[in-house]
Amino acid sequence: MKNLKYVIFALGFIVLAWMLPALYELVSPRTDKTPFVVYSCLDSTFIKMEVQDKQVHYIDFRGQEFTKSEADSLLPLFAFRQLVAEGRLPDSLYGVALTPKLIQQNSFHFKTSPKQLNKPAVGLYTMLESASGRVDLTLPPDVFRLTKEGLEFIDCETNAANRAKSLSFSRELAKHGFTFPVQLIWGNGTTRKDYDNGFLLTDANNRLFQLKMVKGTPWVREIKNEEFKIMNYIQVFTLEPANRQLIGLVVDDAYQLYAVRSNGELAHIGIGAYDPQEMQITITGDLFHWTITEYTATDSRYYAVDANTFEQVACAIIPDPERPLTQKIERIMLPVRLRFTSWRTQLIYPNINDD
Amino acid sequence: MLRALFYKEWLKLRLFWCLALVVHIGLIVYLLLSLRSTLLASGIVETWATMIGRDVLMVNALMYLPLITGVCIALCQWLPEMQVKRIRLTLHLPVDYTMSIGAMILSSLICLTVIFSMDSVVLALVEQVWLPRELVWRTFLTCLPWYIGGLLGYSVTSWCLLEPQWKIRCVDFLIGAPLVALCFLTAQPACYITMWPWLLLALLATVCLPFYSVYRFKLGKQ
Repeated sequence: MKNLKYVIFALGFIVLAWMLPALYELVSPRTDKTPFVVYSCLDSTFIKMEVQDKQVHYIDFRGQEFTKSEADSLLPLFAFRQLVAEGRLPDSLYGVALTPKLIQQNSFHFKTSPKQLNKPAVGLYTMLESASGRVDLTLPPDVFRLTKEGLEFIDCETNAANRAKSLSFSRELAKHGFTFPVQLIWGNGTTRKDYDNGFLLTDANNRLFQLKMVKGTPWVREIKNEEFKIMNYIQVFTLEPANRQLIGLVVDDAYQLYAVRSNGELAHIGIGAYDPQEMQITITGDLFHWTITEYTATDSRYYAVDANTFEQVACAIIPDPERPLTQKIERIMLPVRLRFTSWRTQLIYPNINDD
Repeated sequence: MLRALFYKEWLKLRLFWCLALVVHIGLIVYLLLSLRSTLLASGIVETWATMIGRDVLMVNALMYLPLITGVCIALCQWLPEMQVKRIRLTLHLPVDYTMSIGAMILSSLICLTVIFSMDSVVLALVEQVWLPRELVWRTFLTCLPWYIGGLLGYSVTSWCLLEPQWKIRCVDFLIGAPLVALCFLTAQPACYITMWPWLLLALLATVCLPFYSVYRFKLGKQ
């Protein structure tokens, strides 16, 4: 019984290793402000919008600072609404006649982080009707789950499997060479979008497919990758950009990012390695370029790629600023820092010194 | 002797157990009625879509109830024993104190587990009529750390109450309270699946600690 005091010491040590860093962080909160960065096709460099002293500063990567109005002019596709209001929108750019509708249709934003990806999946998916003939998308009366043998649709009203529909979708996939079970799947089940691209999914042999529902029936297409010889996909994302030129993005096991064009072709995106489990990524796309930002544990990587060819146009890697003094003191004073939450995942688990 | 100890605990706590049971049944019925009302008002399709797309499970009202129950049971069980040092009578029984205190702790842990299991079973049985098995299982996984938090709350409160010295009692509380808080770090569904071994280890460790408090009591620490 006397030895139980060692259990108390051990528990006390664990609690101190957890609570002291948490209290320290409470007293000296971290202020990591990441600036918003967009590539300026006119200035051929990145312009960051940084909040300092409650004011937005527009600074390009060469260090030159601009006024808000100058920045608007350098980012005509980003600030087009302001330029239209001021009557300053250029008539054309690179030989393309600019209209607000055209700019809007070709703008899109995509953002994801390890924390968004690393969470327990529900295992149920909503297959929207992608050709209903109506402008607004509506929720279907069923959802589906993945089984070893195929897809199983469950009717919401009866909470029972819809065997006919399940069989029809599973058979259609199998007819196109899909080998169950599904390995990766991604679809946007929301109705708050202009149209539906269905699901991107990979099979047991790591082949990539697109599946959607067209007038109540399955529609399947294999996304071939002979050109790139991709062995393994590690992440797929389905997108529905307004210009309808993309189906989604995929990442292979060499951490290369590819765009899936609406014609079913893959296109390599000319950026460095992207590890979805370790990096946050944001893509701000416009008519001519995509600005891709990767936040890693040690630096921020900015890429500009051509919106049509996806070839790299510009690149800048900015190492994270040196840790503030408060963090350095924390590391010296508290050599063991235990946390149960992480920036990588929503799962709760003990991790030591993972700042 | 052990049967008699269990019976004594039952006589002492039966009113509170009945009250806890009524409160738990009441809350489960409330949760189920509220789910049913949402299904009827918003539509089954929309409710399923919200639960799947937005990670909503509609059981958050249950979050702290197991903890409150565990702490209250420990208070009802040990406060009378410690107030006028009535626990001495138990310690003078012709049975080793680890057996007698163990029987008292075990009886409460069993009763708590029965109540928590009943919550889970009733919730799952009714939910599976309206919801697919994935959502029912997800609800269970979400509630499980709260139930473990209830058991931890009971163990830590018992540990603190049985401690004879106030200053050590405060230290015990400062160590025990964060351990209980471990079970309530997030309400995000099913996010504790990687934490089960650690929570069970914490539970196992804290269940042993009341014995150390009683050991110190027997040594005459005041």
